[in-house]
Amino acid sequence: MKKISTRIWLLIFAFLIITVVFMYVLTDFLYEQLYVEDTESMMIEVGTKLQTMYTSGKVTDEFIADIEHYNNYSNLNIFAVRNPRELSACVPFDIDYETLIGAEERQQLLEGNYVQKIGYEPRFDRQLISVVLPLVDQNRLEGIIYIYFPLAKISELASQEVIFLFLSAFVFLIVMSFFVYKGIQRIMRPLNNLQIAVEQMSYGHYETRVPVKSSDEIGKLSSTFNGMAEAIQREDEVQKTFLATVSHELRTPISYVKGYSEAMQNGIIAEEQKQETIQLIVREANRMERLTNELLQLARMENEQKDIALYPIPLAETLREVRKILMHQAQKKNITLHLNVDDELIVKADEVKLKQIFINIIENAINYSYEQSTVDIVAVENNGHALITIKDDGIGIPLEDLSHVTERFYRVNKARSRADGGSGLGLSIVEQLLKQLHGKIEIESELDKGTTVKITMPLMEE
Amino acid sequence: MILKKWAFFIFSFIQIIWLAGCTEKSFEPIERNQHFIASLNIQEPSLDFIDDQGGVFASWTFDKAYTGAILLDKDQILLYGHQLDEIDVFALSTGKKLYSKKVEIGTTNVYYAPKFKQFFVTNSKMNTVTSFDVEGNELASQRLGNYPMSMATYKDKLYVVNYKDTKLSVLSIKDLAIEQQWPIEKSSHGIVIIEETNELWIGGHGEGSKPNSSVKRYDLTTGAVHGQIEMPLMPVGLTKTKDNVLVVSHGHNELYVVDFNGTVKWHKEVGANPFVVNQFKNYIVVAGYDDHTLYFIKDGQVQKTVDVGKGAFQLLVREEEK
Repeated sequence: MKKISTRIWLLIFAFLIITVVFMYVLTDFLYEQLYVEDTESMMIEVGTKLQTMYTSGKVTDEFIADIEHYNNYSNLNIFAVRNPRELSACVPFDIDYETLIGAEERQQLLEGNYVQKIGYEPRFDRQLISVVLPLVDQNRLEGIIYIYFPLAKISELASQEVIFLFLSAFVFLIVMSFFVYKGIQRIMRPLNNLQIAVEQMSYGHYETRVPVKSSDEIGKLSSTFNGMAEAIQREDEVQKTFLATVSHELRTPISYVKGYSEAMQNGIIAEEQKQETIQLIVREANRMERLTNELLQLARMENEQKDIALYPIPLAETLREVRKILMHQAQKKNITLHLNVDDELIVKADEVKLKQIFINIIENAINYSYEQSTVDIVAVENNGHALITIKDDGIGIPLEDLSHVTERFYRVNKARSRADGGSGLGLSIVEQLLKQLHGKIEIESELDKGTTVKITMPLMEE
Repeated sequence: MILKKWAFFIFSFIQIIWLAGCTEKSFEPIERNQHFIASLNIQEPSLDFIDDQGGVFASWTFDKAYTGAILLDKDQILLYGHQLDEIDVFALSTGKKLYSKKVEIGTTNVYYAPKFKQFFVTNSKMNTVTSFDVEGNELASQRLGNYPMSMATYKDKLYVVNYKDTKLSVLSIKDLAIEQQWPIEKSSHGIVIIEETNELWIGGHGEGSKPNSSVKRYDLTTGAVHGQIEMPLMPVGLTKTKDNVLVVSHGHNELYVVDFNGTVKWHKEVGANPFVVNQFKNYIVVAGYDDHTLYFIKDGQVQKTVDVGKGAFQLLVREEEK
């Protein structure tokens, strides 16, 4: 697989070559144009002057000799011709002879115009620029002045220079491609760093970051990558903490069960204490069961599809059922569950989930309330929603813990955790369930005074 | 479908008009008693008829690339072309074509022998000479040397110069049988027979880069060389008059008037690249190929000039019998 930098480099290299070739061709073309034009105008100038040497009548030997004499001192090749045959005078006749000028050129010359020719001349066996000027007297083409100059190609003219030109073009290409290569490398370096970082990430090194040095596309990509890496790292840490907490929470009851059962096995526990120990073991086993159940529930809720079927539920009835379920628990602590519900409230929810929400919250209220206190449950309509308030006169939650109570395994009082039997998952589950039911939870609390939990549920639209 | 029909109809219509135009094509008639000298111009093929006052009274322009013409009798003109595969005969008095005769491409010259009522066609592709009667019926044909062109007749003999060859062929007019072959120079052109001195004169361009500058004299019966008359470059146009031979040298634009003994009587520079000379009434007429002008010369002076079509190459004269 070719690297992108190699591809860009190849592209630029190709463009360089095209440019060099194009420039060469253009130079050649321009040079030839200028060279030809310049030579031609010089030839015409010289020829026109020589033409004035002829006045009239036959072209004399002296005239031919004069032209030849001039030719000896000129850069150009000049000669005068008076042989009618060379001048295509015999044109109507079939002549086995290659004449110097053709029939059409003769016509042009007869009109007094000069003739310019560029190209191969068989007479001279090479490429020529030539100018033919007529010596005309009374419509008679008495002779011509023929001027020619070899049309040398640029390569023929300066073969040494051409080699130099090719060499310098070659060196130029090498140098340019080197610099272009270096430049591309420089531009591509952040991209390479990014690629290495991504590789590191894929190996699990979430702490990998790339340096952001520019604000261009690659710079933006780098900072976005850094943000992503941070998020992944955070999530990873949360996951790790969660796992540590879960294992810690499970280890405590397990060590209880293990300790007590081993003690019983070894006969350390006295006979009269055995019953109590078994109760302890059962309690811890229950705790474990509850913990695993709740964890399972949480995990399942996260996997559950977002849109679950909601249907109308009479709120008052649900709350009464919940009170019935928890009545026994409340009575143990001599707590009164006071219910004040608007009977007309019909919420849109799932009954099982709704019940669990209320059970969890009211259970919490009972658990953290002082004995012989009251838990008030009020449900009213508020701005098109059902507002359910569960108020206790319990121990309350310190302000600094209030925002964390819905986090998994978060406990206000860690020491008390086992005594009150909570897993630390109750409110997490409530939050998750409310999210599914499009409800909201709001917790207000004052230490030693009590806690008020406000739940807002959407009402059934009529 | 309708469009197709219409297209076909229009096409047919145009064809009919074109064909009708073709058959109907005729030139300005020349009256039977009108004397003229006609100039055949070959660069843009045309035929200009000029009267003895030097006025162009008729002008025929051609679509075909004619390179030569000859008067068959007083009222017929035959036109031929080196690249044409037929010769056309027109009646001057009506300006209409009398007939066309299929020939091989490569016609170099046509010569008319009034005494025999025959014309002879030389062909450079086939290297032949073929005789026809005035109705255009082929009579006989003979293979000759390379590129037969200049022709002359005397008594019952036809003299043909092979232009790209080194021989002159003497044939019997009757059956075109070759009777003699004389060695001549290559690129010879222009022939006159001077019965008064029993001589045959030939001009020529000269071969290769060496131009010819003389007229060669041969014995009319034996072909023996009698000598040569020095001339300016390229004497190719030879015409015999009552007591002179007119010679134009196109290389030097010179008209030479020579008596039958080969003595140059007078000469004059005239025209630009003249190939032909002829006598019309009291004038010597020289045609300048390059300057498209006929020069009417009398008493050694150019009396008048007449502009003609481009490339005046042949002069045809019709006047009362001398």
